[in-house]
Amino acid sequence: MSAASRSDLDVLREAIRETGVSRWAVVRAVLAGTMALGSAVGLAAVAAWLIAKAAQMPSPADIALAATIVRFFGISRGLFRYLERLASHDAALRGVVTLRERAYSRLAGSDAHRILGLRRGDIVARMGADLDAIGDVLVRAVIPVAVAVTVSAISVGIVAAILPLAGAVLAVCLVLAGAVPAVLTARSARIAAVVGTRARAEVSAAALSAMDGATEHRVWGTRGEAAEALARADVESERSHELAARPAAWAAGSQALFSGIALVALVAMGVMAVHAGDLDGPLAAVVALLPLAAFEAVGAVPPAVQQYFRSAAAARRLAELTDDADAAGQASATSEASTPDAASLALDGLSVAWPGMTPTPPVTATVAPGEVLAVVGRSGVGKTTMLATIAGALPPAAGSVRIGGTDASPALTGSVVAMTAEDAHVFGTTVLENLRVARGDVDEAEAWDALTLVGLDGWVRSLPDGIGTELGAGGRTVSGGERRRLLLARTSLVPAPVVLIDEPAEHLDDAGADALRAMVTRMRGEGRTVVLVTHDLSLLDLADSVVTLDD
Amino acid sequence: MKPIDPRLIRRIGPARRYILVTAGLGFLTALLILAQALLVARLLAPVLSPTDLTDDGLHWWGRLVPEGARTLATGLSLLALVVLTRTALAWLQERLAHRAGVRVISELRERVVAHVASRGPRWDTGGRTAQVATLVTRGLDDLLPYFVRYLPQLALALTVTPVMIVVILGLDWLSAVIVVATLPLVPIFMILVGLVTQERSARHLAAMQRLGARTLDLIEGLPTLKALGREHGPAARVRELGDAQRRATMGSLRVAFLSGMVLELLTTLAVAIVAVTMGFRLVAGGIGIETALAVLVLAPEAYLPLRNVGMHFHASADGLAAADAAFTLLDEPDAAPARASLGDAPHPRGRAIDVAGLSVATPGGARLAPADLSFSAAPGALTALRGPNGEGKSTALLALTGLLTPDAGAVAVGGVPVLTAQEAVDEASWLAHLAWVPQRPDLGPAGRTLSLGQRQREALARAFDSGRPVVLLDEPTAHLDRASRGDVIARMRALADAGATVIVATHEDEVLAAADAVVEVTAARTGTPS
Repeated sequence: MSAASRSDLDVLREAIRETGVSRWAVVRAVLAGTMALGSAVGLAAVAAWLIAKAAQMPSPADIALAATIVRFFGISRGLFRYLERLASHDAALRGVVTLRERAYSRLAGSDAHRILGLRRGDIVARMGADLDAIGDVLVRAVIPVAVAVTVSAISVGIVAAILPLAGAVLAVCLVLAGAVPAVLTARSARIAAVVGTRARAEVSAAALSAMDGATEHRVWGTRGEAAEALARADVESERSHELAARPAAWAAGSQALFSGIALVALVAMGVMAVHAGDLDGPLAAVVALLPLAAFEAVGAVPPAVQQYFRSAAAARRLAELTDDADAAGQASATSEASTPDAASLALDGLSVAWPGMTPTPPVTATVAPGEVLAVVGRSGVGKTTMLATIAGALPPAAGSVRIGGTDASPALTGSVVAMTAEDAHVFGTTVLENLRVARGDVDEAEAWDALTLVGLDGWVRSLPDGIGTELGAGGRTVSGGERRRLLLARTSLVPAPVVLIDEPAEHLDDAGADALRAMVTRMRGEGRTVVLVTHDLSLLDLADSVVTLDD
Repeated sequence: MKPIDPRLIRRIGPARRYILVTAGLGFLTALLILAQALLVARLLAPVLSPTDLTDDGLHWWGRLVPEGARTLATGLSLLALVVLTRTALAWLQERLAHRAGVRVISELRERVVAHVASRGPRWDTGGRTAQVATLVTRGLDDLLPYFVRYLPQLALALTVTPVMIVVILGLDWLSAVIVVATLPLVPIFMILVGLVTQERSARHLAAMQRLGARTLDLIEGLPTLKALGREHGPAARVRELGDAQRRATMGSLRVAFLSGMVLELLTTLAVAIVAVTMGFRLVAGGIGIETALAVLVLAPEAYLPLRNVGMHFHASADGLAAADAAFTLLDEPDAAPARASLGDAPHPRGRAIDVAGLSVATPGGARLAPADLSFSAAPGALTALRGPNGEGKSTALLALTGLLTPDAGAVAVGGVPVLTAQEAVDEASWLAHLAWVPQRPDLGPAGRTLSLGQRQREALARAFDSGRPVVLLDEPTAHLDRASRGDVIARMRALADAGATVIVATHEDEVLAAADAVVEVTAARTGTPS
């Protein structure tokens, strides 16, 4: 079932199940939290009894035990709160790790066209911040609400044991102080989700337009209008806050009201019970003063509701990302069966397009093992899309791609047809590990050979740890030219018989052009089938045939 | 990160009123809690006292809550009044609180956007627009809790706590001493815990961030791995890195939560000690029950604002980091040096535009694109700039607008210099004569809902209908179908025939065929990359 047709609760529940967090881990955190807030309730109850009992001037020994219990609760609250925070964060973090691994596996197993079509920013946001937000539902919603329930039950139990009717009143007030703000907060969160999200999108569009289109606005003298558009969007966003604040205000008011009603009622009932002779003073003091501490736990309900909405939205985005991954996972698992040594490539009237875009003019070409096909055309015409289609990540808009006699399919992506995109990723790990991305068993000698081929051996030798130097995120930054050549070195180690290379629109520098030339020559010698997208017409002599996508 | 960023406080402006209103409502609420405590003491004291109450146990504060409140009817009525007023205040506070933040955030956002928009076209070299877009939207929105919760709570900690101490002092000096003695322990212990754990916590934090970055890096590379058929291996690595990150995070949390525990431990224990001490003094007859009840209820309230400040500061951390990034951006000096003014631009109608030796270095400084570009665009003619991608056609057009300063060369109108590397005519006077259509025109927020082709057509229509004498077009026929292309070429031709100076960057044969003059644009290496 797709994520769109399921309710928020179902989607979130499914995501929580995927975290594999054990019931026991949650129960442990709830127990610690109950002990922490229960200590506050216990402190209020026993201290009230102690003061009231002491007023009757008994011997000091009569209140010694109560004094000890009060001191114990004074210490236990902080201790158990500490344990609860550790237990809940540990459970959530473990859950997020499991969820991230599972989501990664599902995503990795999904269709190639899906993955290659994803924007990097999206993947990082979904697998990073969104997964953390799903974990937060345990820490900030599930556990606090469970604690609110257990602590409220304890408070009601204490009061009911002394004065059953007072217990019933407290129970009703606690339920109302939890449920009414919850409903109102949910309404506020929904307004924020609908109106607020729309307003934020407008602010975002106006801000981007003012910045991206700055030069145009200057030429046409429309800077003032761009600024006004942003100001208008900001006012709209302020209005959405105003709308969301209304139910939130009633939520805050209702919580104050119900806890106040409980206080007035229980003070009255306690005092009247003493007057009627049903209760002695110390127990009446417990009944009257307990409401002051009992409502702290339900105060966690409104923030928990807000967290629920945030986490549900995150779970939905994650579900949309990995939705159709399950079925596709089996297909690509079998694809690693056998990799032929050589494969020819035949494009027959091939026209390509991402869904909804204008298809490219049809091209026909045959590339035998050891041959090179160059694809040229102006930027944006669909050269990269053509590579994705040949790689099997995208079905052809018309015509066919045949590789070694079979139609291109997602099952061939990576194993038979390997592609190096112009924005291919350099990982934040060592030079050697970055080369092993092509093939896991590349040894150091092979790695140096590949680096020498693209003329990077000197550069790598100059690095502090040579081939073991960390690059990219958290490591050494790599210039554009070095990055290009490193990707070429990686491509030269790819075992696949058909290799697709997408050169960036920026011109290659001399060293980059030499590296590309050397690599293509080597691949030709190895009997590989190479398709090269290029903008540099001086490289066309490398190719056995050339197709253009310009009409 | 400082709890109060002076740059932020300076910019609060009109929002100060709402922060004061929120804090003021909080202060009133505290006074009502005070009244509530005194009323509860009044109501319970008669039934808990073994003898009839003769003294006023609330001492001086008894003037605030009359002794008549000891009777059930009066006491409960007053208590109900307090509860209703607290309810109204809670409603009002939540209703107005957000106003303290949203205006400041909007203003800060508008300033950052205006600042970025005023940088030259070359500012966005590191893909920074996307980063800044995230900053001015989601990033600055995270500042809301800072204004709405943290600052008012800070004001409360500075006002409510002293008031509570003064009241407790008036009731029972010994309890006040206990509270006053423990209060400074809270910051002292928190600082001590911070100092002892600083090195450890910094190490954990660094490890946590490094591992987090690595995991995301691995995930970010998924399309690359998929294209090479290597997407399945890293799942185990994602798990390993995630587990290592979890351990590092837990290590840092174990330390970070310690200061929270110290805060809770000290404040709760102090309340417990106040209660126990009063208990033994009650037995000895050293204190009255009415006094003891009032102190018992009030003691936790003295600590409450302090606990809330700690909690809300934590929630403001992300927003403060975003504000810091915003101020750093605002303080960044303009990269392009100002050019000396040549006064108002001459009117270009009927005058040739002469470009001589125009060179612009690429952002990295490795190449000049265009390099040494010279041509003359005659009025009433269609001049085409031709060359492969990356040779500097678009850059040449930008330099003609005057918004991009060339590294060498000059632009003259009818022989009068208007733009050089060191001098330029008044920007507004020159731009008023120009129509310019870039690749991927923007057209404002409304334009973002249109397709690229539609936007292109609208932007071209604006340029064609503007009546401006100089028309600069960057690849005007890209993203258009064949019919529209012919139409655009006809309009360009008509504009030139009517006397305009039309300069178009293109590599389309049809456009080149319609041009009166074709200029080759070429790049060159500088030989001294920076």
